[in-house]
Amino acid sequence: MTTLASVPASAATIRPVPRRQLAWVAWRRNRATVYGLGALLAALGTYLLVTGLQVHAAYDDLGSCVPPITTDACRVRWDAFINGYGQRGLTGPLLVLLPGIVGAVVGAPLVGRELESGVFRYSWTQGVGRMRWAVAVILPIAVLTAAMMGALGLLVAWRNGPLLEAGAAQRLDGSTFPTTGVAVIGWTLLALSAGVLAGLLWRRVVPAVASTFAAWFGLALLASVRRPHLMTPLTSMGEPPTGSLDIANYWTKNGAPVSASEVSSVLETVGVQMREDGFSAHVGGGSPAPTDPIIYLSEHGYIQVHSYQPDSRYWTFQWIELSWLVLASLVLLGLTFWLIRRRSI
Amino acid sequence: MNVIETHDLGRRYGATWALQECSLTIPAGHLTALVGPNGAGKTTLINLVIGLSTPSAGELTVLGDLRPGSLPALDGIGFVAQDVPLYRGFSVADMVSLTRNLNRTFDVDYAHERLADLNINLRRRAGQLSGGQRAQLALTLALARHPRLLVLDEPTASLDPLARHDFMATVMAAMADDGVSVVLSSHLLSELERVADHLVLLSDGRIRLDGPVDDLLAEHRLVTTRSGPVSTHPAWDVVESIAAGAQTQQLVRLRSPEVALPAGCDARPVGIEELAMAYLRSSTRGVGPVLEGAHR
Repeated sequence: MTTLASVPASAATIRPVPRRQLAWVAWRRNRATVYGLGALLAALGTYLLVTGLQVHAAYDDLGSCVPPITTDACRVRWDAFINGYGQRGLTGPLLVLLPGIVGAVVGAPLVGRELESGVFRYSWTQGVGRMRWAVAVILPIAVLTAAMMGALGLLVAWRNGPLLEAGAAQRLDGSTFPTTGVAVIGWTLLALSAGVLAGLLWRRVVPAVASTFAAWFGLALLASVRRPHLMTPLTSMGEPPTGSLDIANYWTKNGAPVSASEVSSVLETVGVQMREDGFSAHVGGGSPAPTDPIIYLSEHGYIQVHSYQPDSRYWTFQWIELSWLVLASLVLLGLTFWLIRRRSI
Repeated sequence: MNVIETHDLGRRYGATWALQECSLTIPAGHLTALVGPNGAGKTTLINLVIGLSTPSAGELTVLGDLRPGSLPALDGIGFVAQDVPLYRGFSVADMVSLTRNLNRTFDVDYAHERLADLNINLRRRAGQLSGGQRAQLALTLALARHPRLLVLDEPTASLDPLARHDFMATVMAAMADDGVSVVLSSHLLSELERVADHLVLLSDGRIRLDGPVDDLLAEHRLVTTRSGPVSTHPAWDVVESIAAGAQTQQLVRLRSPEVALPAGCDARPVGIEELAMAYLRSSTRGVGPVLEGAHR
């Protein structure tokens, strides 16, 4: 009894710092980041909104001039629409890389700058304790950043709407998929978590940002290569449904695959040459009229088979991607908190 | 209560021991000066006490029986680090609010009063303050938490003499008003001579001397003899011998304060700086009876 009673009351009954105070710390510590991020995303959002309105207006103007196109007049208007809005220039790659850039730039300084400037000797010796400090400084900004990127993803999806509807873009495509839905949230969280850990390990902000982005980029590249094979692709005779992500196509005859060289030699007899991109060029001026190679092959018992991921799997793929990205982020954050607790200078 | 208690405490970085075999007892209510040359292990010891660092060997408790770095320990210790790191972009008012929100208890009125006395504008950015003002701000933030132990790591190293004096005056006022115990590291002993009542002398990661200043002064004498060094004597242990012409000056530690000194030698009390310097010099030459010119 006496041993127990000799323990100071403060040791056993100490009340942690209230959450309200931690919320203030979280806001004050990261408000410049929130302003900067807000400004960047507002600018990008405005751009997406303006171009999105243009796309929607132009698409509405087309009226019934959408595939399948029957008249030449429609063909001209459709081509003009695709030429005008089908290509996204630099916006496409920027949107794909944005979660990595934002996550690394927001995440790396959270602990990294603290260690780089030595301020951790102030913040880690306050009554709050370094663990609750870390929770306050890391978690709210992580959630907020992910949410803001998620909101931007909604805008991207809305902007892409007409192109998807018209079959000129696919939601499952690598340039769109990670920038929309919940995947964009996952990719942002991953970069941010990796950034926090890198800042802690490097103890310097700039190398932490650089290495985080490099690692994130490598993983994003790998994911985009692996993504079409997450689930067994469907196959179709002829064109897959609109919106599908085409993975591969090949010709069959009597149910057996036919090699490209055989198809090529068949076509050469009618003066058409296969090209790598799958289109055909008319060669040799001798033939009386250009033959549509697809129609020609179909008429001669050849059937083109496509393997593809249907658009209906978009959300399944999105949730799969979010799941493993969140899991990976939690592992990185868990490691970060463990290292912060153990850290000894 | 002992504010710091260590047993064979050690901290190793790779193969190098920054601090080793450190056994200390620092009771509450004192201003303890942690003195030693650069690289002696002062900051290492301080980092262990405030919980930024964990021991490689031995034991350490603070504020009675608390583990350094635990919430109750952090709660009871105010710390001002070397070079006074603060968020440079934060205003003084923001630093006050931040510290208030990072602690369970914080005396905002005290902080504002002190800053007003110091003529520190609450709207100035912490990064724009002068060195003296920054040190005073950090000290104010630490004291407004009303800690039981205030730990200061070379707080005055970069300050001019006037700012240094003002800083120490604030520390002394807090000791008198609040009863806070203070541990202060410095490589300048002269400024601590008048204020420190407990001394811990470190060099090369080891404690060379430790105890209440009055006791240390009482048990050391500077003995001058004409007959050459008296290296062994039942009354004392020699700390340092210096030959000066025909005379030999020896700084000795009396085996007991009442011991009778031999006839024919002139013994006078020493100052704390003199004492510390003698121990630091002798520690670089090895331990035991020291002869002038011995191997370094």
